Amino acid sequence: MADPSIKDFEAAIAELESIVKKLEEGDLALEPSLALYERGVQLSRFCHARLEEAERRIEILTERGELKAAPPSFGADDDRA
Amino acid sequence: MSDLFDLPFEEEPPEPEPNTPLPASREASPAKATPPARRILSVTELTVRVRDLLETELFEVWVEGELSNCRLWQTGHLYFTLKDESTQIRGIIFRSALRYLKFKPADGVRVVARGKISVYEPKGEYQIVCEHLEPQGLGALQLAFEQLKKRLQAEGLFEASRKRPLPSLPRKIGIVTSLDGAAVRDIVNVLRRRYSNAHLVIRPARVQGEGAAGEIARGLRAIGRVKGVDVVIVGRGGGSIEDLWAFNEEIVARAIAASPVPVISAVGHETDFTIADFVADLRAPTPSAAAELVVSAKDDFCGRIDRLEGRLRGAARTRVQALGRRVHVASGRPAFAGFPARLAMRDRHAGELAHLLARLTRARVTAQGRHVQLLDRQLDAFGVARRLASLRARLAAATGRLGTATTARKHRAAVQLGTCAARLESLSPLAVLGRGYAVAWNADKTRVLRDANVVARGAVIHVTLSRGELTCDVREKRGTEKTESF
Repeated sequence: MADPSIKDFEAAIAELESIVKKLEEGDLALEPSLALYERGVQLSRFCHARLEEAERRIEILTERGELKAAPPSFGADDDRA
Repeated sequence: MSDLFDLPFEEEPPEPEPNTPLPASREASPAKATPPARRILSVTELTVRVRDLLETELFEVWVEGELSNCRLWQTGHLYFTLKDESTQIRGIIFRSALRYLKFKPADGVRVVARGKISVYEPKGEYQIVCEHLEPQGLGALQLAFEQLKKRLQAEGLFEASRKRPLPSLPRKIGIVTSLDGAAVRDIVNVLRRRYSNAHLVIRPARVQGEGAAGEIARGLRAIGRVKGVDVVIVGRGGGSIEDLWAFNEEIVARAIAASPVPVISAVGHETDFTIADFVADLRAPTPSAAAELVVSAKDDFCGRIDRLEGRLRGAARTRVQALGRRVHVASGRPAFAGFPARLAMRDRHAGELAHLLARLTRARVTAQGRHVQLLDRQLDAFGVARRLASLRARLAAATGRLGTATTARKHRAAVQLGTCAARLESLSPLAVLGRGYAVAWNADKTRVLRDANVVARGAVIHVTLSRGELTCDVREKRGTEKTESF
């Protein structure tokens, strides 16, 4: 769900906030209202997608600065399931 | 006897009777007849003897007193005076020994010193050379703790203004602790239960014993440089003050303060505060609690999205309903209702358009209402899906089948998304096109075309049909003399 119009998480939520405010306050016509609403849904979907997108992963940062997958004993049981 | 000792010497020893013949006297006391050969020592010899005596006799002594006149020389050795109510002795502790003291010797501190007496020959002075100082009253560690705390506080390292908020949704969570301890398992368990897709980066570091503080500080610096790590938990399970000591060391405090991302300290149990706790952006009483803090920041964020969605939905519904009412009222008026019919009689083309407008408007408002409902449902689905997912993840973790659950959940989410997208498509306001109407757009699809005047010949326009879309070249224009009337 890469959307070039959404910079990041914080930007998404800030925009969503301003959209909600506009919708709540403004006496907008139908078209812009709907456009705003759709944008709002898009933003909230983006946020949810970000919440879900990460893979559960446990890595070990070694003395030499390398990242290695943690041994399975660390509960990384769904590593490549 | 002691009184006698304290008496000052007489001015002069009484002169022997002048008439007493000396030789007679000698003979009278044969014991004194052969006095030991008068051995005259040089100052050096005497001093050396004193030194030998003192240094062998007082090779290892323990002495208690109060420190005063503490002076740290450039050589790194500390000179001081150790005193009690009435006497004092000079003391020194060399840099090599000073390094190992957990506290900073300071004037007024009562200490027990272990050391040996040494004589400084050039000045005929003696002093105690200390190997170790141990503060009395407060324990050495406690004192060191208080001193460091005071110092860092004075530097402003504990200021509330320095504390940074936790990220709402950490990309990666850094952990600096021992791989053998309970802390790392506790953190992993909490995150596995409540934040199933967390990405952890663990930097192993010994958390007690010689060198632990250095490892922790290095670990903090290293993990702060890992891309994507935007919060760090540093800690260990509970223990004695000695066990936790690394977290009271200055290098650890400095490393926490210098961390580019917020640090949560998680040392020991509720009652133990460490210096690390004061410097950290957030203090958790236990490692599990630290993980909970990360999770609750994320939950707060989810709550924020949920609330915004609720408001978004409410506001949009209100708008659409209000506008919808207006359209219905307007289109329900006899004049308007009859408009297409009347027009149809005069001008079929215009009539069709007017009719279309009325229907489109009504259909559109209805469709948009449905659209809003659909989007609402999607939002609900997201919320419910997420909550269900977290419940399932919890269950799965309990039975150790998290992997399968996560995959299944992902799969479900994908299916759901697909369904939602399909429904969104079908209920789009443009669904009215299913009845055979088409919508023409300008080249970049930013405007719906209502007037042939706005399009040049040879221009590209898009036509949205019920199924699919056409990109067309305008070959001819007709009816351009009429202006758009809607």
